[in-house]
Amino acid sequence: MSNPTNARRSDDPLPAGQRLFDNVFLLLALGLLIMLVLYTGWGFWEIYRLPEAPLP
Amino acid sequence: MTTSAASPPVFRTCPATGRRVHLPAERLIKVHAVSSVVALLVGAIAAVLLVLTRWQAVHLLPADWFYRILGVHGMSMLIFFIIFFEMAVLIFASTVLINSRQPALRTSWLAYVLMLGGALMVEWMMWSGRADVLFTSYVPLRADPLFYLGVILFAVGALITVGIFFASLVIAKREGRHEGSLPLVVYGAMTAAIIAVITLVHGAAIYMPTYLWSLGLMEVDPQVYRMVWWGLGHSSQQINVAAMVAIWYMLGALTVGAVVLNEKISRSAFVLYILFISMASAHHLLVDPGMGPAWKIVNTSYFMYMAVLASMIHGFTVPAGMELGMRLRGFTQGLFDWLRRAPWGDPGFSSLMFSVVVFGFVGGITGVTIGTEQINIIVHNTLRVPGHFHATVVSGTAMAFMGATYYLIPLIFRRKVAFWPLAKVQPYLFAGGMLVFTLSMTFAGSFGVPRRHWDISFSMAPFDVQFSPVVDVLLAVVALGGLTAATGAFAFIAIAVASVFFGERLETIPTGRAVPGIPPGLTHPPRHADDVDERNAALHAVSRLGPAPGTLVLVFVFLAAFVLYFYVNWKVLSFLWRIG
Repeated sequence: MSNPTNARRSDDPLPAGQRLFDNVFLLLALGLLIMLVLYTGWGFWEIYRLPEAPLP
Repeated sequence: MTTSAASPPVFRTCPATGRRVHLPAERLIKVHAVSSVVALLVGAIAAVLLVLTRWQAVHLLPADWFYRILGVHGMSMLIFFIIFFEMAVLIFASTVLINSRQPALRTSWLAYVLMLGGALMVEWMMWSGRADVLFTSYVPLRADPLFYLGVILFAVGALITVGIFFASLVIAKREGRHEGSLPLVVYGAMTAAIIAVITLVHGAAIYMPTYLWSLGLMEVDPQVYRMVWWGLGHSSQQINVAAMVAIWYMLGALTVGAVVLNEKISRSAFVLYILFISMASAHHLLVDPGMGPAWKIVNTSYFMYMAVLASMIHGFTVPAGMELGMRLRGFTQGLFDWLRRAPWGDPGFSSLMFSVVVFGFVGGITGVTIGTEQINIIVHNTLRVPGHFHATVVSGTAMAFMGATYYLIPLIFRRKVAFWPLAKVQPYLFAGGMLVFTLSMTFAGSFGVPRRHWDISFSMAPFDVQFSPVVDVLLAVVALGGLTAATGAFAFIAIAVASVFFGERLETIPTGRAVPGIPPGLTHPPRHADDVDERNAALHAVSRLGPAPGTLVLVFVFLAAFVLYFYVNWKVLSFLWRIG
């Protein structure tokens, strides 16, 4: 894909953001962690702290 | 075709793109793509039966078969069609697009066999009436244990393929097949693969205990099931979003020479998907009393809106990249000359445009609106929900996959696209039908018509429910739109099957002259002139609206539609939910 707007000299050091974005396994770990903590873990906590409903 | 000097030859050089194609990887891409189209056929047949049942005047299927076929439709389309195609995309991206090879070939084939065996097992269970549990298979609805085992086998196969995708990236880097960052399209595929891991972890976490539950070996809490299952059910559709956006970038470059407006912005948007899009699963639990408001709002609003922002970024950068690409090639008149003179007869381009527009304007706006906790109460379990996700998954993802297929047939299968005149109109038929279908379904849902319901007249129920008479008209329009879209889907299947199995072989792709059966993006590659940087600088200097002014105008039209739809929904909610 041609990209005339973002030319970068090959001898420039890689910016920190680009190194972060290029780290596939760090992104995988972060993606899993955020989902497992905020959705799944917190969701489990919500369900298991529910008081049991008394039967009529 | 040329091959490398190695013996036996395992690579060929693509005559159109010059890329090295790993032949074993190419075979894997082919079998996954063909399996995907077969699943699409099953799902499309089921779709016809369903719309002819929800059309009140026809009401084709009896109740038991309606729910059975609804399950078949959901699994065949949302899981088998989509995920088989996504696996093809992952293999394509990690080999062809970075000139690399597919490692672990035996394991790759084992993964495919697991997916195919699992899919066949699930279809067998559903068609034989031993798994009438719909797509969600909510506990305590119980299916035959083989149904759950089939799902597990399919998921394990997909997870292995995703693992091999990551291994491919590592090997490509180590072998020096690409330098620096991954190309943007591969980066999008990598995003889809990470979301697939998140999805499949949740799938394993819920289907393994549910399999044991179906054998009577343990208990499964229905609320826990719903929460964890949607980590699979909704996140699987976010794999689609990432794969679809990656295909948007690819088709834009192939069809009109689109440029990437800003690599940093586009990659940031993909990273936002990785971090935040999966928690959209909580939308399905917004009316569940067991989950607290803080959990609901954090998961569906505060953080999830980061993923919405990502979609809006892609929704701007993809068409803006196409506009700038066209302007760089000389289509500079007015705001929309680039759009008017775009190759609308190229099914790859028309599919791309319909996918972007309907995904954004219909799927995106309705999704964010109905995913708002307060508004969800007037939407939950109505036809507005399938109205929304047919606009995203079908009009967006499936349309993009179809567009990509028109390029994969000559590039990977090395055959001409059969029935070329039909192929040129197929995207219009499919997208037009789906637009009518999704809009009328959304309106019917606004009248409270329930989803997943065989008989909305409630003729056998002990209570009386009356809908507005306009609902019958809307459901008839749903059926007509659905039948039109199904015709487009069958046309696509006929074209794909005829091309792959009986199409004219292509040894080379001629350039400079139009050839029926070869997309114009290949016969007339949209190359940029040598002075492209000077043209680019001039375009940035001339317009006060930036280098893509037409897209900017369309963005404001989109935002106005968004605000209007959001406001109308709050207004409707205020009628229902009076305060004071």
